[in-house]
Amino acid sequence: MQLLESILYDCVYHSAPIILCVLGGMFAYKANVLNIALEGMMLNGAFVSILTYYFTGNMFVTLLLTVGSTLLYGVIFAFLGVTMKGNVIIIGLAVNMISTAVAGFVLVLMNSANIILENFDLNALKINIPLIGKIPIVGSILSGHPVITYISFLMIFLMYMLMYHTKFGIYVRVVGESEEAAKAIGLHTDFYKYAAILIGAVGCAFGGMNLSLERLGLFTNDMVAGRGFIAIAAIYCGQGKPVQSAIYAVLFGLSRSLAVNLSVYAGNAAGLFDCFPYILMIAVLAAASYVKHKNVKVRGF
Amino acid sequence: MRAKLTALLAVCTLTASLLTGCGSNEETPASTETGTQEAGGETGEAAAPAASDLKIAIVCDASGQNDNGYNQSAVEGAKECADTMGVEYKVVEPTESIGNTLSILAEDGYNLIFSMEYDFDALVNGEAGAAPIAEQYPDTTFVVFNATPNLDEAGNTIHDNVISVLYNVNESSYLAGALAVLVNENADVLLGDGYDLTSTEEARALGFIGATDSDGITVFGVGFVEGAQHVAQELGVTYDYYAKYDAGFADTAGGSTVAGTYYGNGANVVYTVAGAVGDGVASKAKEVKKLAIHVDANKDGQQPGYIMTSVIKNTKVVVKTLAQAYTDGTIGDMENIQVYDLASGATSITDLATFSAALETTDEAKAKWEEITAYLADLEAKIGDGTIKVTNKQNGDSFDEASCPNINFK
Repeated sequence: MQLLESILYDCVYHSAPIILCVLGGMFAYKANVLNIALEGMMLNGAFVSILTYYFTGNMFVTLLLTVGSTLLYGVIFAFLGVTMKGNVIIIGLAVNMISTAVAGFVLVLMNSANIILENFDLNALKINIPLIGKIPIVGSILSGHPVITYISFLMIFLMYMLMYHTKFGIYVRVVGESEEAAKAIGLHTDFYKYAAILIGAVGCAFGGMNLSLERLGLFTNDMVAGRGFIAIAAIYCGQGKPVQSAIYAVLFGLSRSLAVNLSVYAGNAAGLFDCFPYILMIAVLAAASYVKHKNVKVRGF
Repeated sequence: MRAKLTALLAVCTLTASLLTGCGSNEETPASTETGTQEAGGETGEAAAPAASDLKIAIVCDASGQNDNGYNQSAVEGAKECADTMGVEYKVVEPTESIGNTLSILAEDGYNLIFSMEYDFDALVNGEAGAAPIAEQYPDTTFVVFNATPNLDEAGNTIHDNVISVLYNVNESSYLAGALAVLVNENADVLLGDGYDLTSTEEARALGFIGATDSDGITVFGVGFVEGAQHVAQELGVTYDYYAKYDAGFADTAGGSTVAGTYYGNGANVVYTVAGAVGDGVASKAKEVKKLAIHVDANKDGQQPGYIMTSVIKNTKVVVKTLAQAYTDGTIGDMENIQVYDLASGATSITDLATFSAALETTDEAKAKWEEITAYLADLEAKIGDGTIKVTNKQNGDSFDEASCPNINFK
C-alpha cells in the first residue's frame, strides 16, 4: 500500500513539469512551428525562478521575472523563426544552448556550482487538502503537492477548451494546416504563430519553476535533464491533442516513478523502466505513421 | 508532410545526441584557432621575490574552477604555492580537447601540469596519429587523477613524467558508513525536534545513490557498506541497504525522488556520489527531516544539520605536495602512482562541525557525541596502521556481499 502510494505520488511529481511543457508546446506544433526550444526554456524557468527568489525572496517578483524572461526567449525564437523565417530547428537548438550557457555564466559569476535557497521550507509550499488527503491511494494523488502541480493538471482541461472551443484555437490550427488558406481568409498568420510559441514559453516557465523552486529549492545546471525533449515526443505521440499528449506525459512520469520506487526491490534492474516510455513512443510513432501511410489514397512517393 | 517528417527525424537525432550528451564529460569540437582556448584562463603571478622556474597549470574538468570542490581545491593549492613559493600558475577551463590544451600549456613552458579531467588518451597513448604528449614533452610533468592510465598491460610505467594520483576514498567512506550507523542508533539522544527519523524499532536502513555503475563510484559504496557493517556487527544489529548505481550526474529532481523512496522505506541516511544529484538528495533530506551524506568537498553547510558529513577529495594537498617536490628537485624520484589515503589527509570526512552544531545540547547528547567522535578517531587510526583493511574497488579488489553479514543487500 505504501509502495503504491509512493509510486502514485512520484508519478504526479514527475509528470507535472512535462505536462506543462507539453500543453505549451502543442500550440506551436499545431501552428506548424516546431518548438524544440522547450528544453532550454524550461531550464530558463528553473534557473530564473531560483535566482530571483534567492535575491528577492519575493514569490510574486519571482513569478513575474521567470515568466518574463522565458517569454523573452520565446520572442527571440518567434522573431527569428517566424518573422525572419529562419530554420526553427537550428534556432531552437541555439536557444537550448544559450539558456544553459547563460545559467552557467551566472553560476561562474556567483562563484558557485549551484544556487541553493537556505531557510526555504519546501513543506510550506505543499497543499495538504484536509479530508481528501486522508483517503488512502486517492490522497497521495490529490493531496500534498505544490500549487503549480495542481495548475498543470487543471491546464489540460483549460488548454483543451482553448484549442477546440475558441476562435483562437481554431485559427492556430488553421494556420498550421494550411497557411495559404489562413492568409486567404485574412488571418494574420504570424500573429498566431507568435502567440502559439509564447504560450509554449509560459508553459515551460511554469514547468521549470515547478521542477526547481517548488520541488527542490535549488538549481543546478542541466537539471532539466531532457524533460523538454520528452515533452516534444509526447506532443508527437499525442498528435498535439491536449488530452492524449498529456497522457503520454503522465506515462513518462509513471515510468520514472516505477524506476525510482522499484529500485528498492529490484536494484539496478528497475532502471529498465526508464527505457519504457521511449520504447513505447517509438512504437506509437511507428504505428501512427504506418497507418497514415496506408490510408493515403493518392498515388505519390 | 515530408517537411514534418524531416523535422521529426531531426528532432529525434537531436534528442538522442543531447540526451547522451547529458551525463558525459564535455566533448567540444576543437576550435580552429588554438589561441582562443586560453581566453578562459587566469594567470596569477606572485610578487614574491624568490621567483621559481616552476610554472604550474591546472586544467579543470567540465565542472569548472568554481565547483566548490575538486577543481577549486586544486586552484587554491596553486594560489598558495604562488604566495609561498613564488611560482607562476595558470588555470584553464578547456573549451576544446584536453590533448590540445595540454600540448599548448607544455609548449608555453608550464612544467607541472595538473589535468583534472578523466581523459588520458592524448597524453598517454597519443591521439589522431600524434605521438603521446607525455613523450613530446619529456621535461614536463603531467599529473592525472583517479585512474592509472600510465601503465601498460604488464603493469609497467609507460611515461616517467606522468604521475597518477589516487585517493583511497573507500577509507573515508568507511568512516562515513560507521558514522551513519552510530548516529542512527543514537538518534533519540543526539537529534532533537528538527528531525523526523524512522525509529530503529521500525526499520534499520541505509541508502546509496551512485552516478554510474563503475569502479570509480562503487569504491565509495563498498567502503560505506563495510564501515556500516563494522559498527552493525559490534552492536549486533542488521541493516537494510538500498543502492542505485545509475542516477547520472545531472538529474537533481530524479535523485531527489530516489532518496525520497529510500527515506520512505526506513532509511535515515542516504549517501550520494553523483555530483549535482547530491544537491537534490540533500534538499530532500531537509524536506523529510532526515540525513544525507555528500561528497567531493565540504558541503555540510549546504543544508546545515541535514548533511551529516561529506567525503572529501582534497586536491589542494596534492598540488602543494607535488609543487614542493618539483621545487626540491625530488619529483623525478617519486613513484608514478601516488596514493593518498586517509592518513595523508587528502581524503577524509569533514570535521563534522556543522552537524555537531545541530545536535541536542543536553549533557547526555554531548557525552554520546564525544564517544562517537572518539570511536571514529580510533577507526581512523586502525585504518591508518592497517588493522582494518577496506576493500578498494578502484584497485581491482573484489567485493563479496557475504563478507557483510549484518547488511541486508536489497
